[in-house]
Amino acid sequence: MPLIIKDEYPEKLFREDGKRLDGRELNELRPIKMEVDVIKSADGSAYLEWGNNKVFAAVYGPREVHPHHLAKPDKGILRVFYRMATYSVFDRKRPAPGRREKEISMIISDCLEPILFLELYPGTSFEVFIEVVDADGGTRCASITAAALALADAGIPMKSLVSAIAVGKIDGKQVVDLSGIEDKAGDADLPIAITWYNEEISLLQFDGDMDLDEMTKFLDIAKDALSKIHQIQLDSLKSKYITLKEGEGEKKR
Amino acid sequence: MMNVKRIVSRIEKNYILSNLRKEERIDGRGLWEYRKFRIESDTISSAEGSADVTLGDTRIITGLKYDIGQPFPDLPNEGVCTVMAELLPLASPLFERGPPDEQSIELARVVDRGIRHADCIQTQKLCIKEKEAVYILFLDMYVINHDGNLIDTGGVSAITTLLSAHLPEGIIGDNGLEWTGKYLTGDDLVNELPLVLTYGKIDDIIFLDPNLPEELVCEGKISISVTEKKITSIQKSGATTFSIDDIKMLGKKTLEISQKLRKELNLLQYKTSIK
Amino acid sequence: MIILENETDKEVIEETQENDEKEGEDFEDFEDEEDSRDIVVPGEVLTEDTKNFLPGRGTIYNSERTKIISLNIGLKQIRKNYINVIPLRGFYTPRPGDKIIALVVDKNPVKYKCDINAKDFGTLKPKNTIKRGKMRSFRGSGGSGYPQDEANIERFEIGDILIVKILSADRLNKPELTTVGKYLGKKNNGFVISIDPPKIPRVIGRNGSMIKMLKNLTKTNIFVTQNGRIWLKGEDIAHERLLVESIKKIAAEAHTVGLTDRMQEFIINEKKIRGIE
Repeated sequence: MPLIIKDEYPEKLFREDGKRLDGRELNELRPIKMEVDVIKSADGSAYLEWGNNKVFAAVYGPREVHPHHLAKPDKGILRVFYRMATYSVFDRKRPAPGRREKEISMIISDCLEPILFLELYPGTSFEVFIEVVDADGGTRCASITAAALALADAGIPMKSLVSAIAVGKIDGKQVVDLSGIEDKAGDADLPIAITWYNEEISLLQFDGDMDLDEMTKFLDIAKDALSKIHQIQLDSLKSKYITLKEGEGEKKR
Repeated sequence: MMNVKRIVSRIEKNYILSNLRKEERIDGRGLWEYRKFRIESDTISSAEGSADVTLGDTRIITGLKYDIGQPFPDLPNEGVCTVMAELLPLASPLFERGPPDEQSIELARVVDRGIRHADCIQTQKLCIKEKEAVYILFLDMYVINHDGNLIDTGGVSAITTLLSAHLPEGIIGDNGLEWTGKYLTGDDLVNELPLVLTYGKIDDIIFLDPNLPEELVCEGKISISVTEKKITSIQKSGATTFSIDDIKMLGKKTLEISQKLRKELNLLQYKTSIK
Repeated sequence: MIILENETDKEVIEETQENDEKEGEDFEDFEDEEDSRDIVVPGEVLTEDTKNFLPGRGTIYNSERTKIISLNIGLKQIRKNYINVIPLRGFYTPRPGDKIIALVVDKNPVKYKCDINAKDFGTLKPKNTIKRGKMRSFRGSGGSGYPQDEANIERFEIGDILIVKILSADRLNKPELTTVGKYLGKKNNGFVISIDPPKIPRVIGRNGSMIKMLKNLTKTNIFVTQNGRIWLKGEDIAHERLLVESIKKIAAEAHTVGLTDRMQEFIINEKKIRGIE
């Protein structure tokens, strides 16, 4: 049955004043807030608000592998479970995990594995659970960014963090950080993630069309934006401790 | 790190029990005291109503979505509300992945019955055209952190979500289903404010709002849903037994405590104001 | 006044104080420094001066060996020419010789399976549970002396809390435990709390200074172990509650300086506010 308000895409993705529909410039990021250690039951956790996106990431590990036959004798295994809440999207999503969620789980896992030392933990598993409670474009990138924080918060040795963002083309112009509408109604989107220890790409997808010059530009503007994301991640990891200076008691909540 | 199935140590069980006998709990509460509630409403932009509720360290984020469908044949002018709960594996090493298990079904059903039998929702306001089109509401609860007493946390998050509702108002016009441009809000939809209170029992001691260690050593639990003056739903679980006097005492206690709690929480402040 | 359940508890206090000096090592010099150490995060460059510095604990060279980077979120520490990172978060890795608190979660005739807050469960075999004082007769029995062994073995149940020592542990095999030894064995009272294992040295303090202060001021028996678990028993729940809150505060502020003094002030103050001695 149809919903009362239809999910319709606007014709133009730029306003009269040249800015994007939410008022941003071409290279501007949406407001981002990150916090670690938000789920006390987990070994490590992070919460991220990125525009209207709201994502929780929790890490459990190293721990025993269930089911046992998946355990590897020479190294640990990383399992990522990316899920979206039914109410996180405009058209209610069915509760059971779908193919898209399984595909994204795998992509996130491939993106996180390079920064870990799984060979040090044979026969065990690291599980990363991601729950998107509000979605508005770029959830896989927000999830990777949150997952990296959660792994660091769990005290798991890592070569570095990983940061992710979606760049794209809307109404012919190349922009950074696509919102939900821009993702759906735009011309092209390119989610990308960089691992900082070697400054190389660990996630790369693309849908749309671009020539070689556009591709070069995409990679450049992405790198720039990713550095900003990385800085926010670093600040959020440290801020838990920095607010406690000598003599002060209360932890920021 | 944390093992998947938590076995409670004997000394912990003895410690909790011997202190309960002295009416003491490690977090300093009395036997009939709640942990602190923290409530934020309408936080989810994609939902038509939502609530983020924390009780102690137990946190549940609930969202409201809707669909338009056919009513039940025996209730042709009433909308439908279904409640679902997911115990997310991220919330606790005790929760496993997979389809809803007994615990999540119990959570959904107890909260659902607490709302339904209190006549909380004005289901007739959810009717667009008799026999043809009614709102089907989905109240979905996601547990984000588990530190005991999911039911009471879920109850408050469900009712707060309904209060924060902003459902687009629909009518059947010339072109079929149309939007009037207005919204149905908590004001239109919510009639009553039911609250559910859960008690744990170990040996012969009964106490309110068990946290996780207390819940794990409990031999049984009982949840009682109430409106201002009436008891509307009861659920006993666990293998222990309750005496008749106990039940009478709990009925009275629940009405008393819930009246105080209702005032303290002042849930009506979470009604959405858009019109 | 502390009411000791039995002699064992008293021994436990002294034992912990002996261990303390070794275990408090990581934070040893910390209290003397005026500045707090830098908080570093995974991937952060600690130095590019690879001529004069070597990567120590929690650090690694980058692939070109031109930088030393941190592997963890933690405190940067320089000891001689080693750069170390003392982690502020992390999990427990069993090492032989560690004294830890184990919870029996399963048992069969040949072994007990114990939760030791690590990636693997620990194994406790009956031969490693010989009762105190029975060692001599065991050795003197010559051959297997089966009926005597039965009587000498301590029996445990699922749900028992044991203080154990790790006999062996490596990457590939599950850790082996023993309850044979001074101050090891089952606990019959008190209760156990858990904190982040990296914070344990802070609860002990330099030369045991923090734990001595906690014990004296809150009048509780405390046994701190390497896997993040702490057994405690106090004179009443009010003291125990204050101690638990104090330990949580220490864990939250483990990266700051002047903590022992601050905690002392905190506890004295709280005792006044709560009206307890």
